[in-house]
Amino acid sequence: MNVLLVEDDKQVGDFIVAELRAAGHSCVHALDGEAGQQAAVGATYDVMVIDRMMPRMDGLELIKFLRKSGNHTPVLVLSALGDVDDRVQGLHWGADDYLVKPFAMVELLARLEVLHRRVSLPGTDAPTKLVVEDLSMDLLRQYVQRRDTPINLQPREYKLLEYLMRYAGQVVTRAMLLEHVWGYHFDPQTNVIDVHVSRLRQKIDKDFEQPLLATVRGAGYRLGPELVD
Amino acid sequence: MQIRAVANSLTFRYIVKYVTVLSATVFLLQAVFYVYFSYTSFKELGDSVVEELETLQLVYRGQALAGVEQYIADQRSSPSVNRFYYLVTDKSGTKVTGDLPVAPRYREFDDGWLGFEMALQNWGESVDVDFLARPMDLGDGYKAMVARDYADIVERAELVFRTLVRVMIATLILGITGGFFSASRALKQVEQLNKEISRIVRAGPGQRLQVGGDKGYIGALATVMNQMLEQMEALMQGVRRVSDNIAHDLRTPLTRMRNNLSQLRDRPDRVAGGQLDQIIEECDELLSSFNALLRISALESGNRLSGGHDVELGALLRDVVELYEPLAHERDIALVLDAPQPQLCKGEADLLFQMFTNILDNAIKYTPPRGHIRVQLRTNASGVGHSVLIDDSGPGIPLGERKNVFRRFYRVESSRGEHPGHGLGLSLVQAIAQYHYGTVELASNHPGLQVWVHLP
Repeated sequence: MNVLLVEDDKQVGDFIVAELRAAGHSCVHALDGEAGQQAAVGATYDVMVIDRMMPRMDGLELIKFLRKSGNHTPVLVLSALGDVDDRVQGLHWGADDYLVKPFAMVELLARLEVLHRRVSLPGTDAPTKLVVEDLSMDLLRQYVQRRDTPINLQPREYKLLEYLMRYAGQVVTRAMLLEHVWGYHFDPQTNVIDVHVSRLRQKIDKDFEQPLLATVRGAGYRLGPELVD
Repeated sequence: MQIRAVANSLTFRYIVKYVTVLSATVFLLQAVFYVYFSYTSFKELGDSVVEELETLQLVYRGQALAGVEQYIADQRSSPSVNRFYYLVTDKSGTKVTGDLPVAPRYREFDDGWLGFEMALQNWGESVDVDFLARPMDLGDGYKAMVARDYADIVERAELVFRTLVRVMIATLILGITGGFFSASRALKQVEQLNKEISRIVRAGPGQRLQVGGDKGYIGALATVMNQMLEQMEALMQGVRRVSDNIAHDLRTPLTRMRNNLSQLRDRPDRVAGGQLDQIIEECDELLSSFNALLRISALESGNRLSGGHDVELGALLRDVVELYEPLAHERDIALVLDAPQPQLCKGEADLLFQMFTNILDNAIKYTPPRGHIRVQLRTNASGVGHSVLIDDSGPGIPLGERKNVFRRFYRVESSRGEHPGHGLGLSLVQAIAQYHYGTVELASNHPGLQVWVHLP
């Protein structure tokens, strides 16, 4: 994954670059809005991470400019401001995701991968069927089966599984699930999501040898064949 | 304005006291005046009688009895209304001349003065009139007595007295009416001040008193109170800024530490993996405390909701309940939603969702197995605003603690250690409710806790 990072805080920027490279991605770091603008125009990236408050050109200005000039590379906005208004404003101007500083690196990585995946999925037309190993979901008939066993899901469990299957093989954080499956951006006091996931796990993994839904400690969940270290 | 409130006011009572003292003083002055008036009137009367006697004596000395008879006859025929009455007797006490009977029944006063009552013909009517009389020896055994009626003086004195009483009554009535009006005016100002202060209590210390155009003592009081509010706000902001700065400054290194720890954990040699997981979890808890604290501060110090979107509370509560239903089920708690009618409310859905999940989270945390929790969306009787009631069958919160639980980091002593949490959940609930111009109330569910959220 080729990432453009526009971040004026050198320390934070260096850390993100190091982490992205350690995770196997390539990364270009621009230190202010204008430099970011030049970098974005000069080359193509898979995703962009743009800080909100920057000297010379504000993050939102940069996104507005990019969208106007026809650049639709997914953008994740970083911001020290955690206000509801800010979030809505950021998404309104064409950002695809929003993360409040400071953040856990796993959260940023998970979100970037999902953003990247969203545009790079083969065939941008909406798929009618999702398949992960022997688990399949028919999106038209809303029918789920594993091998030949039909799996009966509640509406929310269905949405949860759909999201996990769309981003199969990737780490999906709890905050991402809350935002995309439940549609609310908030901090749960307890891990309510875990209960939902374990219910889902009961239904899709219980009678099968190979578990598909794994918990990634300190990060979230991953659907897919078990990774062997 | 209630008459009773005015009558009980300090100003009115003060004015009543003042008017009473004033009236008493006026009365005293009037009494002195009355006594002086009566005294001088009678003295003048007496002097005139003595003068008349002296005239009689002079006439007797000059012209003997015949002159006296002539003089009295002249006086009797004069048209003067208040004239003298005479009696002249000889040695044996027989009446010689005059128009008084020989021996009316006298009352004797000091210094040889006599008083008696006699019927006079006045406009054809017989009227009893009081007289003041004085006898005198003319010489040669003749005695003269001159009398004068004093009905006119009594009448004038009475007139004076009545006037004085009326003046006093008028003073009292005018004084008390004036007192009532000035008291009600003062009370109005106090009431306005009261309203203003209540508004500030509701809206928070960022507000200032506005007492319209009053330059008087209420205006001065408002100015002083505004200064006090300013100081209070500055102090509160100072305290808040310190805690915000701590949270803000600690958040960044903590995040860096967390990132480093997770790198360490992912290293292939996996030294002490389990312990690292635990440390990372604790980092996350600290971070979530700081985040909650900063969110509360942002909500409380910033502007309140302006505009907002239409949020359907029924659907929102269904989502909340649906999210928590598995958790409740896992703990064997019956979770019921009662939201029969859709209700639209202006607000931020994410914040409202956060608020209700915090309340429900607490309810589930504190309700024992086989308990029950109900979430109810109620229509207010007035038809204005919305009320959400979340009640549980847990231990509840003692009356004395109900205000405290909204304070940051406050935790009911008995729940410390027993239940996880950072003591910011209800503070955030209150901050969100107030951001939406709403309120949160706690009540007993007999047993258990009722949490009421009122939204406009």
